[in-house]
Amino acid sequence: MSRPASREPESGSERQGISQGSDQGMLARATGARLWKDHGLLLWAHFLVPPGLAALVVAATFATPVLAGILAGAVLAIAAVSARGLLSRLSQAEEARLALTNQLIQSQKLAAIGELSAGIAHEINNPIAIIAQEAEWAAHLVGEAEKTGTADFAEVKDSLREVRAQVDRCKNITHKLLDFARKREPVLQEVDVVRIIEDMARLVDKEASYKNVTLVRDLPQDLPTLRTDAPLLRQVVLNLMTNALHAVDTGGRIQASARADGEMLEIRIADNGCGIQPENIDKVFNPFFTTKPPGQGTGLGLSMCHTLVTGMQGEISVESKPGQGATFIVRLPLRHSPLHAAGKNT
Amino acid sequence: MEINILLVDDESDFVETMVKRFGIRKMPIDSAKSGQEALAALAAKDYDVIILDVRMPGMDGLEVLKLIRERAPLTEVIMLTGHASLEAGMQGMNLGAYDYVLKPADFDDLLDKVRKAFERKQLNVKARKQGA
Ligand SMILES: Nc1ncnc2c1ncn2[C@@H]1O[C@H](COP(=O)(O)OP(=O)(O)OP(=O)(O)O)[C@@H](O)[C@H]1O
Ligand SMILES: [Mg+2]
Repeated sequence: MSRPASREPESGSERQGISQGSDQGMLARATGARLWKDHGLLLWAHFLVPPGLAALVVAATFATPVLAGILAGAVLAIAAVSARGLLSRLSQAEEARLALTNQLIQSQKLAAIGELSAGIAHEINNPIAIIAQEAEWAAHLVGEAEKTGTADFAEVKDSLREVRAQVDRCKNITHKLLDFARKREPVLQEVDVVRIIEDMARLVDKEASYKNVTLVRDLPQDLPTLRTDAPLLRQVVLNLMTNALHAVDTGGRIQASARADGEMLEIRIADNGCGIQPENIDKVFNPFFTTKPPGQGTGLGLSMCHTLVTGMQGEISVESKPGQGATFIVRLPLRHSPLHAAGKNT
Repeated sequence: MEINILLVDDESDFVETMVKRFGIRKMPIDSAKSGQEALAALAAKDYDVIILDVRMPGMDGLEVLKLIRERAPLTEVIMLTGHASLEAGMQGMNLGAYDYVLKPADFDDLLDKVRKAFERKQLNVKARKQGA
């Protein structure tokens, strides 16, 4: 008999699901908290069968069925009482673990904020340092000019131009952040998801062909339309495809697929590129997290996708085995529960 | 319902064809040959949908897009891109473009996207009114 208490991972791959409100469920599942409930019967059998069998063997040596029955019954009763105790202790342990998990989520959130702040500080510190230097140098030049009466304004102008350029750089960063933070209320339209994916894929095709990468479409023609925000969904799909294209080597393969799954519509962008290191899988949705060299990625793409998808009442997750590629999964509700409009519940 | 459309493209042949084709469907459209012209037109009239070539000499199309979004946030923009430039496409979408069309544009495709963009604008206007 297999030991039911030992947990089996859902699959061999890393999986991280993110969606508002389901973090706890996700983590509970990941820690196997649900397992003992599903396997309750197995657990009982596990506890009760061995003592029961032992009792029967003992009784059989006495060779009277009645005695065997009584003995087996008594032993089973004792075993059952202890098993109950054990199971309730188990469930208490699970509750404690859930409480801990909540704390963990909190501290993870704080850590994410810390990382975010560090990211912003880092991005803005460099231009600020340059601005300070140039301003000092300009002041020095002006001071000299005051003393000697002869001035080299060309250099002062140079410094000021540099200050200006660096200010623009800062402005760019803050603009991106503001853009990122701006709450865009989704505008719901009837959307043909297959068309959107196909459109975005066509935008990627050309660049993919330079890299000898094939972008395979696996799109059913009978997919129901979705009520969602079209440009936001385009943005998400395009960002995921672009990331996939960056991740694959020459000759790689990207697959875009969509399917209806019960109440949800699922879009998958899978690639056979470098994949994501296990220590990074929890971080890829964090703002500013990037493994790309400075200047090539801001690390805002996926966190933006996450914000957009949750804004559309959906969820986004990733599965990846390092070296074997990554799959990003976007799930959107087929029937949008009205956020604002009252009394229109489906 | 009439849709106020502005087509921004420096390629006059293309503009002429489009003006004609929209005209046949009783949908008169305005046109501009550059970013500056487009912004001037936008200052004078409230457009529902702007079809914007992102590759024009002079003012960068993405810069124009940014300014349109700032000055007329309710106006929807459909980008026209010549040779499917992924980077420009992604920046455009991230800057709030509604959609894009690859050149040479299929007219029915473009028309469909214009209608969808217009529908979104109206929904946005309605939402604003309710919110106010
Ligand atoms: N398909 C993928 N395969 C492997 N790693 C990925 C994939 N998609 C994203 N990543 C990892 O997640 C990181 C964050 O992605 P994200 O899109 O947020 O930022 P970026 O692509 O680095 O920069 P930006 O999108 O802002 O230009 C990437 O740097 C990469 O390490
Ligand atoms: Mg990215």
